Amino acid sequence: MTDAAFSALASLADPSLLLMLAVGVLAGLVIGLIPGLGGTGAVAILLPVTFGMDPEPALAMLIGALAVVHTSDTVAAVLLGAPGSASASVTMLDGYSMARQGQAKRALSLAFLSSMAGGLIGAVGLTLAIPLARPMVLSFGSPELFMLTILGVSLAAVLSRGNVVKGLTAGFLGLLLGLVGTSPTTAEERFSFGSLFLSDGVSLVAVALGIFGLAEIASRVGQRTITEQPVELTGGWGSGIREWLTHWTHVIRGALIGIWAGVLPGVGATAGTWLAYGQAVATAKDKRKFGKGDPRGIVGPESANNSVEAGDLIPTFLFGIPGGVPSAMLLGMLLTYGIQPGPAIVTEHLDLMYLIVWAFAIASVAGAFLCFLATGSLAKLTKVPFAVLGPGLLVIMLLGAFQEGGQIGDLWVMVLLGVVGFFLKATGMPRAPFLIGFVLAIPMERYYYLTANLYDGVSWMARPGVLVFAAVLVVPVLWSLVKRLRGTAGQADDGHRDEHEADDDHGLDDLEGSMAGTTWSAALAAIAALVFAGALWLSGSFSEEAALMPRLVAGGGLVLALVLSWQELRTRRGRPADAPAEPVADEPLGGGGTAVLTRPATVVDTKALTRQRDLVIAGRTFAAMATFLVLVMLGGYLAATLVFVPAFLLYAARARTRTAIVYTLVLGVVLLALPSLLPVDLPMGVLQ
Amino acid sequence: MSIVVAYADTPPGHAAVAAALVESARESEPVVLVPAVRGAAVPDSDELARRWPAGGDRLTVERADLGDPADAVVQVAQRLDARLVVLGLRERTPVGKLVFGSTAQRILLEATCPVLAVKPGQA
Repeated sequence: MTDAAFSALASLADPSLLLMLAVGVLAGLVIGLIPGLGGTGAVAILLPVTFGMDPEPALAMLIGALAVVHTSDTVAAVLLGAPGSASASVTMLDGYSMARQGQAKRALSLAFLSSMAGGLIGAVGLTLAIPLARPMVLSFGSPELFMLTILGVSLAAVLSRGNVVKGLTAGFLGLLLGLVGTSPTTAEERFSFGSLFLSDGVSLVAVALGIFGLAEIASRVGQRTITEQPVELTGGWGSGIREWLTHWTHVIRGALIGIWAGVLPGVGATAGTWLAYGQAVATAKDKRKFGKGDPRGIVGPESANNSVEAGDLIPTFLFGIPGGVPSAMLLGMLLTYGIQPGPAIVTEHLDLMYLIVWAFAIASVAGAFLCFLATGSLAKLTKVPFAVLGPGLLVIMLLGAFQEGGQIGDLWVMVLLGVVGFFLKATGMPRAPFLIGFVLAIPMERYYYLTANLYDGVSWMARPGVLVFAAVLVVPVLWSLVKRLRGTAGQADDGHRDEHEADDDHGLDDLEGSMAGTTWSAALAAIAALVFAGALWLSGSFSEEAALMPRLVAGGGLVLALVLSWQELRTRRGRPADAPAEPVADEPLGGGGTAVLTRPATVVDTKALTRQRDLVIAGRTFAAMATFLVLVMLGGYLAATLVFVPAFLLYAARARTRTAIVYTLVLGVVLLALPSLLPVDLPMGVLQ
Repeated sequence: MSIVVAYADTPPGHAAVAAALVESARESEPVVLVPAVRGAAVPDSDELARRWPAGGDRLTVERADLGDPADAVVQVAQRLDARLVVLGLRERTPVGKLVFGSTAQRILLEATCPVLAVKPGQA
């Protein structure tokens, strides 16, 4: 085992691997700075670039990016009070206040060092997990692996924030989308409607980039300016470094919480960071400075959000069950290389596992070092409005989705899924279970088929492993029940330290869940029910073996979607149309009623107006994306980019003419140079 | 010096406010209410004066930077250097406390000043 570890380290001395690692680190740092992208965006944007590479350099690049995304996302949170990713919003509480007191460098050095330590401890955790889990993983048969896939989807749905039914519905929608294409058991085509393009299944990159990337672009293009004056980069680096050493226990505790949050599917960096903050507060004797620039509020969470990504990799590689969205995409990448995560990876690709561990550790150190060096110039990037970054990101993402299959159809699927992703986000449906469901659909079917063939009847259900997983499956259900009971028992005794529930108060993302409880979310539930009903009806025409899984998924999904529709109708009844989802004020007790009654009216107006504005901007952005695709089909990718980008910059982002010209030229040169530097193809148009 | 109340719009919470007003009457200390129920609406000064006509002018509401109710109460008490924290208790079974935790218990354990716990009907 140590041999494998050291041979992996030796292989990293290979200059090409080191170069890829460096490229990944740089890309991860830049992507971390852009609000809304985070780890998901980093893997999604880099994944297509890796398609022509060997698995080692590809993994080095992706892991390098993933390890440092949460190091640089702090910069915007501390200097601008606008977090680069949702998990950095925790650091914003204390980091931004510290920066406003003229100690930005102190806050940033605390954050960078903690991020580095979190990454290193995460890598150690990953290393220790391999020998500990190896005997267990090797004893797994297909029934256990089948139960694990179920567990992955359902845990992701239950542990994601918000309504459990919404999470499960999203998970089932993902499973259904994953079943599109050729059945692994009978080689029969399912839900392809006779199209050759769909018979291959939907491309993972298109799904991930659509549901997360394009939806993010559409929802953020409207944010044109940053209102608050950015703070100056002042204070001393040294004081932060010295102070960091005195808080080492918080760093270690934060990292351990992060690993644990990463191992659980669907919990992710945001919840993990809030958990770390909660424990830092709860164990501190002196709480007066929290939220006003307390170093303990920075080190714990920053250490946690980096170690979450390492924790995510543990179930992904050892069991083939992704812990979060970025690792779901990594899992998809490994599958395209023919590497089956799970028991096989421990026996056949142990060197690859250790390569990942080393890459993670090296990237963590290098990322923190680069952040110290380049924060001054990096901070300028965070001041660029998203509307200006949008078209460039769009061009890169669409080009990425094209690489996997080389089909324009994937780009249309991606834009369509972008619309779906936007509505999932706006109505408060968690998107992580959707992607995890999509990735696990085929393994789930394969393991079920194997199990059903190898065992008589239901005898496999009596295997101890299966029973344990079934028990684990019940715990989240009980947990959500407890959570619901606790919600209704809204008394002073509600003492759980679940700090992450409070993150809505800090106004991080105004779109997330803004349409929950409106006509839109009810319509989404109804559409989901229709989709499941249609799938159930279509699966009647498949052969018995090929129909089993679609029938189960569509049937289960239909029940959930109907429950969700009923919930939506129930919450809407007794409320005027499109009133805000949350109760606005308590019952007036007597006099002063007029004051209380006028407040809800204004709240409804502003909420409805922002919602309408968001919808109009998103609609226009998606229309622009569709126009771009039409241009691509006509004139090819380069020509379409040269027409679309300046038009978008001038009319939608209201950028200056000079900016638009320079921007377009740079992008054009990059597109021209890419095919010779990397294994990238540009889509061709009919006029070319 | 001031007195901090873990405020909830329940009979125990009201009893806590009444007890705090009695405690503060001698030296007319300010009484600061900290909302101790997540997401609940906070009464404004008019409503406070109406509900507690005697001494209502000494009542103010303050919010903490922390989300957890117990942490919030302790944070405000420490920041104001409060003389006393007052909280209302309600009937809870041991199992209920085990499953749901207890804000009151955590304030008792973590506060750095004396804590007065009252029950409804006894204040």
